Amino acid sequence: MYQTLLVFGAAFLGSAVESTEALTIVLAVGLTRGWRAPLLGTVAALVALAVLVIFFGQLIVTRIPDSALKLLVGTLLLLFGLRWLHKAVLRSAGVVEKHDEDMAYRNTVNQLQGPAPGRDWVGFVLALKGVFLEGLEVVFIVIAVGGTGRGLPAAVVGGLLAMVVVAVAGVVVRRPLARVPENTLKYAVGVILTSLGTFWAAEGMGASWPLDFVSILGLAVIYFAASRLAVVLIRRPALA
Amino acid sequence: MKFLRSAGEAVVGLFVGDWVQSAIVLVILGAGWLAVSRLGAAALVVLVLLLAGQLVWFARAEAQRSKR
Repeated sequence: MYQTLLVFGAAFLGSAVESTEALTIVLAVGLTRGWRAPLLGTVAALVALAVLVIFFGQLIVTRIPDSALKLLVGTLLLLFGLRWLHKAVLRSAGVVEKHDEDMAYRNTVNQLQGPAPGRDWVGFVLALKGVFLEGLEVVFIVIAVGGTGRGLPAAVVGGLLAMVVVAVAGVVVRRPLARVPENTLKYAVGVILTSLGTFWAAEGMGASWPLDFVSILGLAVIYFAASRLAVVLIRRPALA
Repeated sequence: MKFLRSAGEAVVGLFVGDWVQSAIVLVILGAGWLAVSRLGAAALVVLVLLLAGQLVWFARAEAQRSKR
């Protein structure tokens, strides 16, 4: 139960962040150039992502032994989580600017110039690229978080629910979801993914964790403490 | 072609920001694998501390680089 909740939560939060970024691109294209092309691009990207999930999902389930899968997915999840955590530390310390959906939206709008005559390939490709690339991260999070430990159904539900919630919110407000605390979410998800990645990579090596799945909480505490230590060290005046 | 290249770069970029940092993480995991088979759970403590330590080290190093 605890494991299922953790997997669902990680997949939901991670997917919500990425879906928000994809939504910003689709909204920017749709509101400036019309909706037909970006919606077609979105559908094409979702179909391509579904094919990837079915193909790799089958490959993972049927071909890779459990311990190798844990080591592989754990290592990738660890690298992925550390990337998010690294960026979150730099953002928290003020070294890197925080991600701003309003600014991302304005930048995309500035690149576009009103509705295009005939078939709008620019709008189609922009939406396809945005949804596909952000969606790749959703797919990876869902497969990696749920692919080991029999948590795939919970991860898929978490990922899909996040996409639906973000899409509905986007349709309702019709502007970027700037109020989503994206940077805080990325920090939290970075800690969770790094902890899950460490847990599974070590299990793939043949290690047994004390208290089994509960030790992920301990890992999260250690990684959170390390990230706060990094923020404190970076902010120290001696560095300036 | 351009789309495929940016998709490929995006996939690699999911896991690798700094190649040196990623290599260090893999080295730590490789050493951890050897240590776990010989030392058991005690090796896990060292593994986790090394992974947490490299996070602090590389974040601080990047902050120093960007402040120069």
